Amino acid sequence: MEVFNNLALGFSTAFSLQNLLFCLFGVVVGTLVGVLPGISPLNTTAMLLPFTFGLAPTSAMIMLAGIFYGAQYGGSTTAILVNVPGETSAVVTCLDGYQMARQGRAGHALAIAAIASFFAGCVATVVIALLSMPLAALAIKFTAPEYFSLLVMGLIAAVVLAHGSPFKAIAMVLVGILMGLVGIDVNSGVPRLSFGIPDIADGMDFVPVVVGLFGIGEVAANLEIPQDRSILTGKIKNLMPRWADFKEAFPAILRGTGVGTILGILPGGGAALPPFAAYALEKKVSRDPSLFGKGVIQGVASPEAANNAGAQTSFIPLLTMGIPTNPLMALMIGALMIQGIQPGPSMIREQPTLYWGLVASMWIGNLMLVVINLPLVGIWVSLLKIPYRLLFPAIILFCCIGAYASTNSVFSVWLMLFWGALGYFFNKVGVHPAPMVLGFVLGPILEENFRRAMLLSGGDPMIFVQRPISATLLVVSAVLLMILIFPAIRAKREQALQE
Amino acid sequence: MNRQRTHFPDLAFGGFLILLAIVALVEIRNLSIGTAADMGPGYVPRALACVIMGFGLVVAGRGFFAERRLLPAVKPRPILSVLISLAVFALLLPRGGLALATLATMACATFATPDYKWRESVLFAVIITVFTVLLFISALGLPLSIWPR
Repeated sequence: MEVFNNLALGFSTAFSLQNLLFCLFGVVVGTLVGVLPGISPLNTTAMLLPFTFGLAPTSAMIMLAGIFYGAQYGGSTTAILVNVPGETSAVVTCLDGYQMARQGRAGHALAIAAIASFFAGCVATVVIALLSMPLAALAIKFTAPEYFSLLVMGLIAAVVLAHGSPFKAIAMVLVGILMGLVGIDVNSGVPRLSFGIPDIADGMDFVPVVVGLFGIGEVAANLEIPQDRSILTGKIKNLMPRWADFKEAFPAILRGTGVGTILGILPGGGAALPPFAAYALEKKVSRDPSLFGKGVIQGVASPEAANNAGAQTSFIPLLTMGIPTNPLMALMIGALMIQGIQPGPSMIREQPTLYWGLVASMWIGNLMLVVINLPLVGIWVSLLKIPYRLLFPAIILFCCIGAYASTNSVFSVWLMLFWGALGYFFNKVGVHPAPMVLGFVLGPILEENFRRAMLLSGGDPMIFVQRPISATLLVVSAVLLMILIFPAIRAKREQALQE
Repeated sequence: MNRQRTHFPDLAFGGFLILLAIVALVEIRNLSIGTAADMGPGYVPRALACVIMGFGLVVAGRGFFAERRLLPAVKPRPILSVLISLAVFALLLPRGGLALATLATMACATFATPDYKWRESVLFAVIITVFTVLLFISALGLPLSIWPR
């Protein structure tokens, strides 16, 4: 079996001492930012991105991936114990997790959350291993028109699944694409939209843009909201779940894993959406939905499984087709490009150690996380006692150093300042910057493939509907757009996103 | 109907889109458009800017007639402190060195909230400065000087 050979290669890569250490570092940092509200895996990854320059590509990816799924674990710990979701993906866990903690069942909730996450992580790893080869084989047949349509579908799907007004989200995608075009036009060598500033003649660097939007902008907005936290005191005991709990939770874990795996693969998915969907599903299948929100174990197990599965399967579109489905995956593309690797369907063949090493490291990382989270839970909770007033100056400082290190020029800090101000503006007018980041990353590839396709067809846009794969992708995009337009379905979407 | 109009957040966002489109169109006015079969560097950006302009007009227009909502209050202190601390870092780093830039940035950022405590903040800033210098210069080898030159 090819899959086994590949996984063997992956495990031998991931089990090297260096990669194990980076994996550990990644999941520890991930847990840390997961526990601390106000720092997201997104801005942590962005801050650490410049420091991956010197690492081997495999180690860099293993570490960055660890931060992402590590944060899913950490976020649930504080959700259960303190009723503060460390991450957006843990918002749902608060509902029943905190209630369980108040009833003195914090240990059970934590244990089930960890088991659910671990189980989901294992399943997701296998799914990635099984799905990636056929998907990459399909994607490798893609030429310019298919790529263009695929990117369009990805962007539209991201808009459909995003919060808030889809109309404004589409506008943000377009703004992102335009911003992505800043720099020298590859075909003619003419600088575009660079306003004669030599530092951006090559395009705006990715790190200052993302750190500015998500790091600086968010900190500034967070500071306006008074921070208060009440810590649940008392020792956490009973870390071993009772058999009855486990039996009750297991079907929920299975359902959550399924929901998370599927939603993670979809563009626009990732870790934030699956737990909401999983919780809604649990409520539907439950015999007594009124118990939800009062501390039922399924309300913890299913969303926790879903967010971890989603976090991991969202790597599939990135690794097989080079398409990021959420801003964090966009950062991963940035990390790969810094290393001189163009993510895409040929990556599995050309970089087998990187690819399979990363997949295997996810499983190892999940195992590490169970160990890090359960016995050491007290340490993480005590970290919450660090007040935000001390934390945020350090965050700002690390953003500055990260931006500087990405280009070794203070211009990046100025660029970050500009984007930070823009991020603050978007926050004030109630538009989320995530779709813009996707547009920003995909913009140049989108234009390139569009121009190439039009060159192929001699200027006839029909080429996009004459090719079967491209046409199918565009039909899917059209259906997605219909979903946005039809009020009935739209209302359901709002409801699903609000629950 | 006597309800008050103008959804200010939407109006502001629409205005931003229109402004962005205008700035982009002016900046690329000299780039060749080319034909659909052989696009010049100006083709796609110009098309995008026009579409963004359209979106801006719709958002702003709808915002103008929508039910009144004011922009959320802007507290000048946090955002200004944060932006100033970035500027301080950018200005001080090349000549002042990492240690000075770090301390100054931390100091400016600390003033973003009124609930800072002097001793605690100073202590924390010094610890972070030492940590930063050790981590980024000694361990990661960033090409920066520690002290002013």
